[in-house]
Amino acid sequence: MTSTETTPFCEAPIQTGDVLLSIENLHVCVEENEILRGVSLEIRAGEIHALMGRNGSGKSTLSKVIAGHPAYTVTGGSIHYRGQDLLALSPEDRARSGVFLGFQYPVEIPGVSNLEFLRVSCNARRQHRGQEELDTFTFEDHVRETMAIVQMDPVFLERSVNEGFSGGEKKRNEVLQMALLEPLVAILDETDSGLDIDALRIVANGVRQLALPTTATLLITHYQRLLEAITPDFVHVMAEGRILRTGGKDLAMALEQRGYDWIDGTDGSEAPQP
Amino acid sequence: MSNATQSQPWLETLLQVLAQRDGHSAAQWIRARDWRWPTSRSEAWRLTDLRCLTQLDPTRLHTQTAPPPWPEAPAPSDQPSGQRLSLQLDSRGHWLSPQGEIPPWPPGLMPLPTGDITRGQVAQTVVSSGPLPLGAQLNGATPGPSLGLQVSGPDPIHLELAIQVEQPQAWLAPHLLLVLQPGAQFCLSWYVAATAQAAVLPMVEARLGHGAQLEEAAMAWGCPGATFLASSFLTQSPRTVYRRTNVTWGWGLSRDEPFIRQSQGRAETHLHGLAVARGQSLLDTHSTVYFDGPEGQLRQRHQALADDRGHSVFNGRVVVPRVAQETDASQLSRNLLLSTRARIDTKPQLEIVADNVQCAHGATVSCLQDDELFYLQSRGIGREQASRLLQRGFCEEILQRLPRAALAWPSLRSLLEIPTPDQP
Repeated sequence: MTSTETTPFCEAPIQTGDVLLSIENLHVCVEENEILRGVSLEIRAGEIHALMGRNGSGKSTLSKVIAGHPAYTVTGGSIHYRGQDLLALSPEDRARSGVFLGFQYPVEIPGVSNLEFLRVSCNARRQHRGQEELDTFTFEDHVRETMAIVQMDPVFLERSVNEGFSGGEKKRNEVLQMALLEPLVAILDETDSGLDIDALRIVANGVRQLALPTTATLLITHYQRLLEAITPDFVHVMAEGRILRTGGKDLAMALEQRGYDWIDGTDGSEAPQP
Repeated sequence: MSNATQSQPWLETLLQVLAQRDGHSAAQWIRARDWRWPTSRSEAWRLTDLRCLTQLDPTRLHTQTAPPPWPEAPAPSDQPSGQRLSLQLDSRGHWLSPQGEIPPWPPGLMPLPTGDITRGQVAQTVVSSGPLPLGAQLNGATPGPSLGLQVSGPDPIHLELAIQVEQPQAWLAPHLLLVLQPGAQFCLSWYVAATAQAAVLPMVEARLGHGAQLEEAAMAWGCPGATFLASSFLTQSPRTVYRRTNVTWGWGLSRDEPFIRQSQGRAETHLHGLAVARGQSLLDTHSTVYFDGPEGQLRQRHQALADDRGHSVFNGRVVVPRVAQETDASQLSRNLLLSTRARIDTKPQLEIVADNVQCAHGATVSCLQDDELFYLQSRGIGREQASRLLQRGFCEEILQRLPRAALAWPSLRSLLEIPTPDQP
């Protein structure tokens, strides 16, 4: 399958199996503390990866570094996105060229209308792809259609960005943004946290619908229940700033049953035994 | 050198000039109130430099106004219910319709005879001790007609007042007296704009009868070199509701001084203010709310944004004497400081004697939040545009309280413009 994505960033069309994101020996510090200590990961079009690990293992840091958070300093290694140096781009250019981060804790922005925010974001991405920007009325029709993916009430368009949203509504709003921006690489940082069973199912359905043969998804999660709804092709386990183990979906099931202590007790080469 | 030393000759000249108009004795007004020019040694004026005002030439002052750029009438579906009247100030100090005619007063709104209007009468009741503030003193010293209105009946009445100043050296001191009969509902919107070195000094006095509701929206837009000195004095009877939303930006100097007295408690006061100080603008708000009875409520929120060399001053005084038991008051001052040379001064001043009250206050001064900026950037919005979105959002928190019709004024829309992607 071939994507129609042709951006100024990379003109070549995408085919299933193409490497979209390549992280090599990444070292990252924040305020002189080394958080990531040599992370390597390759994500191809059509793949869904799950990243698991204890709190503080570096999962969220990795997601923010990919998105370009200024608080983190890359001290070694590289991240390439479709063959280009991603670290050389500003956060907004990363987003415009198709990298999306769904936040664990989406910020509330009082006074900024959610509808206006979504429209400006969507048009920034469209402009970068050489598409015509959507005017207010056209966009409103578009966003109302898209909201069906996450079964979100249009009343949330009139409110300020995430202000007064419940945890579940915030996460739906994140997946709505993902749907509008049509990213090539979507990183979802604990999108399942704080969701009840129904909300988890709705969000998971939305993510599954948006995962295409020409896009890639990296799910950061603590729980097997999300991975029951979205089957990953690869599961990675992080500890102390490194990816200690990579396996298939069975690895997540093994973790669910045996906990992270089991990973600590291995040298990383042992096959998972659920 | 203090303000007073610098300004005494200027004040003397001003009073002489004003006294020559219509035989009115400006000096007599000032002397009768034992009033002196404020000095920077007083706490109330420590942070506010009056040079922008005293740079006007008192010998060249005039009262020339210009037609305001009235926005197009809103669609019928967007119009508020009730009677609506729009008036603009002419060069003789009269309020006329946009067509220059004496307005047809709607039912429930009755002009008071000039002889029934005594400038400063309500003000002296509200500010029972001490002199009136500078704006009120200069307003009182300036001859000119007052507009007095009696409002009655439960049907809401909307009055829009607009003042447009385009000629340098204009000096306008309109005075408005409102008497709201018990149960009356009144919405007052001010639009004041000065595009030249000038001074506008409006003074509002209002008495709210039992159960009356007054909603006031004020938009004051100036330019460098222009001065805005606003003062308002309200007495609230029990069961009254007063909501005030004011937006100020662009002035070289602005000083807004609302005084509200809940004369017997059991009333509601809602004050929301936004000051946007860019360039070398100095925007000052000194508010005072007195509770003279029990169970009064105050909800106050003042937001200021200071950029470039802008300076915002806020002093929120709340007086809760022993008689004002069970008062419920909250005051919040939120400020955005966007430049190393900008300045914010904010001070809550709660004077509480009653022991059974809830009085909360808070003040924050911050720059734009990095996590908010990053969130917007991570959605493809450039940093500059993200910054403007956040600033607009900050302003919107107050602006959304303005009547819908007020947002149609072109100058206010320009304050809110969002650049399109990749445009600074």
